Amino acid sequence: MTAHPVSLRAQRAYVALMMTVISRGLCAASINDDEVRREVARFAPGYRIVMTVFPDGPRFALSVSDDHRFVRGDFSDAEADLVIRFKHISHAYLVFTFQEGTARAFANDRMVADGDISDSIRLVRCLNRMEALILPGLVARRAVKEYRPLPLTQKLRTAGGIYARVAASFFGR
Amino acid sequence: MSKSYYEFFCPVKIIAGHSALEHIPFELSTLGAKRPMVLTDAGVRKAGLLAPVEAALNSGGIEVAAVFDDVPPDSSLATVRAAAALYREHDCDAILAIGGGSVIDTSKAVNILVSLGGDDLKVYAGAHNLPHPLKPQFVIPTTSGTGSEVTLAAVISDPERSVKLPFASYYLMPNATILDPRMTLTLPAHITAMTGMDAMTHAVEAYTCLAANPISDAYATAAIQKIANNLLTAIDEPKNADARLELAQASTMAGIAFSNAMVGLVHSLGHATGAVCHLPHGLCMSLYLPYALEFNKSVNGARIGELLLPLAGAEVYAKTPPAQRAQAAIDFIRRLRDQLHAKTQLPRTLQETGKVRRDQLGEIADRALNDGSIIFNPKEADLGQLEAILEKAWG
Repeated sequence: MTAHPVSLRAQRAYVALMMTVISRGLCAASINDDEVRREVARFAPGYRIVMTVFPDGPRFALSVSDDHRFVRGDFSDAEADLVIRFKHISHAYLVFTFQEGTARAFANDRMVADGDISDSIRLVRCLNRMEALILPGLVARRAVKEYRPLPLTQKLRTAGGIYARVAASFFGR
Repeated sequence: MSKSYYEFFCPVKIIAGHSALEHIPFELSTLGAKRPMVLTDAGVRKAGLLAPVEAALNSGGIEVAAVFDDVPPDSSLATVRAAAALYREHDCDAILAIGGGSVIDTSKAVNILVSLGGDDLKVYAGAHNLPHPLKPQFVIPTTSGTGSEVTLAAVISDPERSVKLPFASYYLMPNATILDPRMTLTLPAHITAMTGMDAMTHAVEAYTCLAANPISDAYATAAIQKIANNLLTAIDEPKNADARLELAQASTMAGIAFSNAMVGLVHSLGHATGAVCHLPHGLCMSLYLPYALEFNKSVNGARIGELLLPLAGAEVYAKTPPAQRAQAAIDFIRRLRDQLHAKTQLPRTLQETGKVRRDQLGEIADRALNDGSIIFNPKEADLGQLEAILEKAWG
């Protein structure tokens, strides 16, 4: 695969937008979806996560609340328990345009995780689950290692709830 | 499909062959080292394996400045501190690790303390937390399995907090590893079998998991061929130096392969089983390998099928229709395990180990689900699927 024809500035803007959506989506999924809720419950309250791009972002920061939900945070990489860092903006672009799944991106050395590796795995499962919920099947199949179709009613109900919370979060503050 | 992008790194000099030990003095001198400390365990000393190393050093004008031979099977912070104190007391300038995985990991941790100063190893735990290269370090493996002699990782126990501290840094990769068949001639048959299957699993998972790349593939397939051709020979003829050397090289090649291509489900289950039931790592690898491959076959059967060539040879590969090669490769590994069981009583099922209770399978599955290796497995596995694999491996 050659370097992506989309300009780096456009890639950066797209990745920044997607990171905003995804961080809010994870917060919403940690309320709306049982599976994500179970995963988040296994992080210690106060646990801090950053996903970023070398050398200076874009990035998002999440922490785990006392009632075991993801909430958006405002802290530095050095203060985080887990930092997942893409090595280049184009690598993040591949993942956030769903051309390369998260597990495949790890396997292709697109990013590094600094922190407890079990926690990284748990975060990837949360991401996969959220993507399977909110993305159309055709796109989700490219994003996750194995796409397991959900019953339409469940997908619509949960995805609708996540979309509503994400939308509300944009207008809420 | 060709790999779209990958990275490969192995700066460790491999010094391999008959009389390889005799090259150590020259190699030490190229790094300006004259006073090596030998780090080993009581078993290695008792087996008389220090004698050929000391003789080789003496013949090259180098004397061992200190010997620390008290490394336990599960090394701890206290052991590392004690060995570092001995190194400093005798003004050593290099480390020579002689042993298996625990000795090698301990030597890496000792090198951190003696190179970077202080006694608190914990501040260097994690990934890439070492600021500069360490003192010269050579590794002489006395088993053929772990591959630790060419990896960037070490694990040390912290008994006070009941955790295992992981260390990962390019600076932990030894300057050289010395593969001399004299060092494995006395390895008991069941350890030979167990460590051989450990190396086999490293190579098979490196080849069949998501991070495989063309260079790691070359190391992995060569390692598999050497193990398939020599493991039973080394068990039948323990003093066969050629077979021992082939296994030692295979183990190192498998180590290079998996440290660049990572591992998958067999290791996830193996790490979890080691933590819950305290079974040796190599045994866990042997227990789970065919079951994990069968689980993955629906996703990467073609890759598994390609392994029939290094496992069984060209004639069998050519005679087997492509659609049947994956199952034939798995069957080959099952037969190998049966032969090892017949010759060395190496268990093939969890039940045969006598050390695993059925009510522990749930905890093993839960831990395996959160093990770092699972992300590189080609097929997604959920808790129920892991429990199903464990039920099959129960026997």
